Amino acid sequence: MNTMIIAENVVKSFGQGTERRNVLDGVSVDIAAGDFVAIMGPSGSGKSTLLFALSGMDAVDGGRVVFDGVDLSQLSDDALADVRRRRMGFVFQQPTLLRNLSVLDNIILPSMRDGRKRARQIREKARILMETTGIAELEARDVTQASGGQLQRVGICRALMSDPAVIFGDEPTGALNSTASNEIMALLADIHRSGTTIVLVTHDPKVATRAERVLFILDGRITGEHLAGAHDASREDLRVREGALSGWLTEMGI
Amino acid sequence: MYLRAIRNDVLRSKAISITTMLFVAAAAMLVALAATLVVNLSGAIDALMQRAQTPHFMQMHVGDLDRARLDAFAEAHASVADHQVLEFLNIDGAQFVFGSRSLAGSVQDNGLTVQSESFDFLLDLDGEVISVKDGEIYVPLTYLQDGSARIGERATVAGHTMTVAGPLRDSQMQPLLSSSKRFLVSHDDFEAIRPSGRVEYLIEFRLHDLAALSAFETAYTNAGLEANGPTLTYPLFRTVNGLADGLMIAVLLLVSALVIAIAFLCIRFTLLAKIEDDYREIGVMKAIGLRVSDIKRIYLAQYAALAAVGGLVGYALSFLFQGALLENIRLYLGESANASLAPVLGLVGVALVFVAIVAYVNGVLGRFRKVAPADAIRFGNAPKASPGRRRLRLTMNGLLGTNAFLGLQDVLARRNLYATMLVVLVLAAFIIIVPRNLHHTIASESFVSYMGVGDVDLRIDVTQAEDAAARVAEVATAIGNDADVARFVVLTTKAYRASLDDGSEGRITAELGDHSMFPITYASGRAPSSDDEIALSVMQASDLGKGVGDVLSLTIAGRERALTVSGTYSDVTNGGKTAKATFADETAEPMRSVIGAELTDPALLDAKAAEYAARFEFAKVSDLDEFIQQTYGSTIGAIGVASYAAIGVAVATTVLITLLFMRMLVAKDRHAIAVMKAFGFTNSDIRAQYLARSAFVLVIGILVGTLLANTLGEALAGAVIASFGANSFAFVVDPAFAYLWSPLLMLLATLIATVAGTWDAGRIRVAENLRE
Repeated sequence: MNTMIIAENVVKSFGQGTERRNVLDGVSVDIAAGDFVAIMGPSGSGKSTLLFALSGMDAVDGGRVVFDGVDLSQLSDDALADVRRRRMGFVFQQPTLLRNLSVLDNIILPSMRDGRKRARQIREKARILMETTGIAELEARDVTQASGGQLQRVGICRALMSDPAVIFGDEPTGALNSTASNEIMALLADIHRSGTTIVLVTHDPKVATRAERVLFILDGRITGEHLAGAHDASREDLRVREGALSGWLTEMGI
Repeated sequence: MYLRAIRNDVLRSKAISITTMLFVAAAAMLVALAATLVVNLSGAIDALMQRAQTPHFMQMHVGDLDRARLDAFAEAHASVADHQVLEFLNIDGAQFVFGSRSLAGSVQDNGLTVQSESFDFLLDLDGEVISVKDGEIYVPLTYLQDGSARIGERATVAGHTMTVAGPLRDSQMQPLLSSSKRFLVSHDDFEAIRPSGRVEYLIEFRLHDLAALSAFETAYTNAGLEANGPTLTYPLFRTVNGLADGLMIAVLLLVSALVIAIAFLCIRFTLLAKIEDDYREIGVMKAIGLRVSDIKRIYLAQYAALAAVGGLVGYALSFLFQGALLENIRLYLGESANASLAPVLGLVGVALVFVAIVAYVNGVLGRFRKVAPADAIRFGNAPKASPGRRRLRLTMNGLLGTNAFLGLQDVLARRNLYATMLVVLVLAAFIIIVPRNLHHTIASESFVSYMGVGDVDLRIDVTQAEDAAARVAEVATAIGNDADVARFVVLTTKAYRASLDDGSEGRITAELGDHSMFPITYASGRAPSSDDEIALSVMQASDLGKGVGDVLSLTIAGRERALTVSGTYSDVTNGGKTAKATFADETAEPMRSVIGAELTDPALLDAKAAEYAARFEFAKVSDLDEFIQQTYGSTIGAIGVASYAAIGVAVATTVLITLLFMRMLVAKDRHAIAVMKAFGFTNSDIRAQYLARSAFVLVIGILVGTLLANTLGEALAGAVIASFGANSFAFVVDPAFAYLWSPLLMLLATLIATVAGTWDAGRIRVAENLRE
């Protein structure tokens, strides 16, 4: 498989002077096209920072991140924005939707940035995605009128609008109840099956169970990797995978 | 606790706190200055008129004078405290030579007088009655100020040489608007020069009680005493003395009102943003049982502190500037008797500004009552507007680019927030356009039509004289035979008795002649076109209680005639009370005549003016531009300077407020900006969205501002002009400025400020703002 993302000896620091500390301390990782990777670790271990570095949303202080053959540190802010808009999708813990816009407008917003002339196709595509994700009835609604699970689906629809190569998720189910969480993860698994690379950060083993690779990060370094392989998403399969992951996490000290 | 909260809040939003304080300081300073000026101006006028013992009633007259009859009249009226007849020796301006300069170009009636013995004294700069010695001449302060004369230099008046001994303050003829100027000489010098001039009598009365003035005026008219010149009264002297500085005070008050409005807007904007930020905390405070008044006090304390510091800074600054502003009053009118009151009144003004701000903040904080603790704690912000109110959908957008659409959408969705910026832009457009239009109007050629004269090239004034009729005929003949004169008109002013509605009699001066040749602007109706019609100045019409179509009875050639009022017009000349008619009357004595002429070639104007001035020394020849320049030149100039200053202030305010507004908006929208960046919007996209927001608000601001400037602004400017006696004011708009340069200037200012104010948006890091 082609390598989609290469992180080489990535360093990211916060704070100033003597207070400055490396949140990422020489992280190296390769993510192949079509991978489903979960990054786990305790609070403050640097997992979200790694996700932001891999997606080019945060500039790194050392090392480099290569996305689809392009060194992200060499790109300008605007070129990075173009890459994010055209090749990446994002799903955050909170819905990160614009309150002034309707649900449909939020979904099509990034695509309308340079596709205004294709407005009709964009609208149609958004409707299909909403239909697929089960939120068709929200189209004209205000974002404040939707539930947390629905909003997360809106976020996923928005992420899928550009047919991204990768979807990055930062605790995408962190604010949801277990039912909604399962539904969202099932959705992401479907998306992955269609060929999209997925990289997500989570502290929830149930969520990580869906991933093929689980990276464990501690004090800014990747200290372990659990290869779970592909799954059939059956309850039984998931239960077995969850058991294996729990055992590994115990080994990692959690 | 309050002190720490205030300090933290101020430090957290330094720029906006300092700006708010600056506006409060500016407002407080202007109010304090206006209060100081009012006290000093009114006090100084009172002091001057008291020391000078200004007459309560003055009638000018040329020709025979029956002193015994006047004495008998005064004796018979108990209201008269004192009376006198002063001589004013009218001398042609060219006969006044100071050093090597003469007053030939002056449009004023310049003349000599001796010091009065009983009242109407001419004073020195210390406010003392001048005691003039032989060989000395005291010169009106205006001429020393404009450099026409200098102290100590040789003065030659009609060949008689004296020395300029000093300036004089004249309580009734000092302002430029007053058309005569008195020079003070000794009795002997006066007598020596007498043959070279023409004596006008100033018949003056002091009354025991000013309240009896109106009855006295009627009695004087009814007695048929000498009265072929203008009649002037104490209240008029008072008004004219205060006009120039009064206008400055009016402008100061207007500007301070605008600055206070801007300060209020700043406060409103920051306060609303703060309430939104603190929504959850406010909910928590309410939930734990704090009263609304307790919560309000925390916020009120901060703004009270800002207002107090700003007010005190402004008050202190007012002392820095009051010297310069009071200079004019001190020079022309002298010290005010109650100057010590000024700082107190200034402080009262500042206190009022403070109270207004605190009351306003208190009013805005009334929103706390609407905060529902449960919602605030659960959602952390105020309930959003219902979706039904949102009409714009990106999905329906076919016209605008996505960034422009998002800008417009945001403005509509958060219109309360943008209302602040909109009001500032409306005010800025208003402040830019109104003074500029006012200046353009006053400086325009057509403005002369407010001066009771049509738009002529050359104006020749022949004032009251025993042989005036012959002199006018002589000039008219010469003009009529001049091939360079395209057309001319002779207008002669005569006085008539009018029967008033209440049965009493009044006196009306009417300008007779053809009023259609050089028409003036009529506030209502039209020019008189037949012998039984009369047009009245607005002030005269209001005095008589007459309007268009009413009938006015005048005694003409000994016979009472009913004239219909054909129209009313604005007039700033001769105290503002004039009339115009076309009937012929050879019996009444002419008071003055004006010959207006239009030349075949305007380029000949200077040469013709010089020619007629040399040929008819008894007449005052002026081209209209010069007439306006000398009478209103300083006012026009001052308004011109004020209009440029207003543009500067408005542009600076626009830049400052837009800059701050955008900075605050970017700070407020950090999360939304980060979201958009995360999904691929570039810094240029974000900037374009903010530029679109500014542009939308600006377009509405300019439209509303221009509309208000041409309606409300015209009415306001009209009120200013009305203080000169001109009503029915209409702007002569400078279209290039009002509709092109002004919007462009504001566009440039707003766009620059928006780009600068949103620069930080480029520095917003997605990860910092979206990290959970």
